Amino acid sequence: MPVFVEDPAHFSKSRLKSDLIAHNVALPPSKSKKEAYVELHMKHVDQKHAADFSSDEEDQVQEVAEEEEDPDDTEMPDPSGLTDDDLRAALLVHGVKAGPIVASTRALYEQKLRKLLQSDGHDKMNGTEKAVLYSDSEEEEENGEEDDEESGSEGAKQETVEQSGQTQKESRQVELLFQKGGYVYPQCFLPSSRLRARASRHREPSTKWNSGNVLKSSEQGRSRCSQIPAGISRASSVDQRSGLGSGVPSASQSVMCNDSFPSRKFSITEMVEEGSLTCFLMESQTSLSPNVDTEREFNGSNVQEHWSRSNRLDMPAVDKKNHSVYYTPEASTYERKTKLPPEPVKDIYKDLIPDTKTTPTGIHATRRRPIKGAAGRPIQYAYPDTPASPTTLERREVERRLVPIHIQILVFFIVASLLYFIYACIEDNSFNPFVALLDILSQESDIKEGLLLQAETQDRPALFGQE
Amino acid sequence: MSSTSQKHRDFVAEPMGEKPVNALAGIGEVLGKRLEEKGFDKAYVVLGQFLVLKKDEELFRDWLKDTCGANAKQQGDCFGCLKEWCDAFL
Repeated sequence: MPVFVEDPAHFSKSRLKSDLIAHNVALPPSKSKKEAYVELHMKHVDQKHAADFSSDEEDQVQEVAEEEEDPDDTEMPDPSGLTDDDLRAALLVHGVKAGPIVASTRALYEQKLRKLLQSDGHDKMNGTEKAVLYSDSEEEEENGEEDDEESGSEGAKQETVEQSGQTQKESRQVELLFQKGGYVYPQCFLPSSRLRARASRHREPSTKWNSGNVLKSSEQGRSRCSQIPAGISRASSVDQRSGLGSGVPSASQSVMCNDSFPSRKFSITEMVEEGSLTCFLMESQTSLSPNVDTEREFNGSNVQEHWSRSNRLDMPAVDKKNHSVYYTPEASTYERKTKLPPEPVKDIYKDLIPDTKTTPTGIHATRRRPIKGAAGRPIQYAYPDTPASPTTLERREVERRLVPIHIQILVFFIVASLLYFIYACIEDNSFNPFVALLDILSQESDIKEGLLLQAETQDRPALFGQE
Repeated sequence: MSSTSQKHRDFVAEPMGEKPVNALAGIGEVLGKRLEEKGFDKAYVVLGQFLVLKKDEELFRDWLKDTCGANAKQQGDCFGCLKEWCDAFL
């Protein structure tokens, strides 16, 4: 018999669906998994086959010879109700050139036509189906990923569960991010302890988170402890929803059920793994009573166990944590934790601008600091004297000894005016002390050697005569 | 497909003759058994199905999945093996 009738678990999902449709079985909701389809298939289709299997097979053998349609589904407006020729025509309408439609290929062509019809008519439905498929696969991937990192960071996971139970909004944001990219990008508006908690989940695969993690592990533990009571109080209110998904009832899971969808998915995968670890604890309390005290007890022990496990590698057991620490109200340690980072910042601000008021949020609205070197402001070099080459040093030495330029100009003008004055005096005969001086000198020389001079040259008297 | 398996090369190297269905690349012991249960006991029977589906990859893959529950890699191996054999000998 060419038509495959075997374990329906081996069928593809679409095949199962089409079979169910063909047998008039109401489909399970589109989100349901393959198992649901297989179950329905076993229940309806296989029973039918078992009932009239022998005759059916004979019929089909005849059909192979005659190349006729299936007798079961004649009344269905379905590809399986078409004759081979009709089926081929229908496929041709959809642009598929079918090969020979024989017994062994018919099922495939029917399936193909069904697929084409679905994609044509029910785009919407198809879309949701795809979305479901994708989300399924995503979950599986995540599962695998978390399996890898399971060994090192159960404690951190526990912490994330409780943290997200406490502050829903923030955890939702972070977990959305986590679901999308696989990484959490640091966000400044989140408390730093939260970031570290997330980071610790990635301790195994991504080494870039490692550095801060190891050091802060004790702080993680502390902050985690402070967040337990909030998670518990929430858990008591929603514990009836706790059975969802993993079937492992636990307080922290019920916390997660209260969250948005992505975080819930996240928590389920997480809890599946965690459930295996803390199974013995869970089973002892399969029915969660709304009594807060018992759950607190339960969570406390749980967390302590996880804490010690997660920190075994990191720090040599800072075992000062006991149950009394876990009972601390959320405000005390958590607040202390979150307020630690802003304090040094505040000090810096106060140093810079002493008259600013401290706001309760710790956020200061301050004047923007001027950018050095921008808009004509001088650049203040950190080093006042940059090392220079020997030539520039020499030039500087020379410059230091030179007279300033304005003094040089002044001296030049003084000299120039003096020279002009002398020239003018010489030119002007009316007032010439220099000529008189010259005359005196010449007279003296004349007196000394008058006769000699007169006798010596013939030019000299002429000169004197001119003057 | 940068590198092919030894099985693939062995199958493509010569006419398939009376080789069992196990000789196909991607068809191991388990899948071979399932195929034999369905009547596909020889490689040429699978080749017949392959040809009657007009060497269409999608249809052949679907058929193989529905018939013996082969996964994507097994489907791809088997399809590639038959396709190459056809290119060589048909």
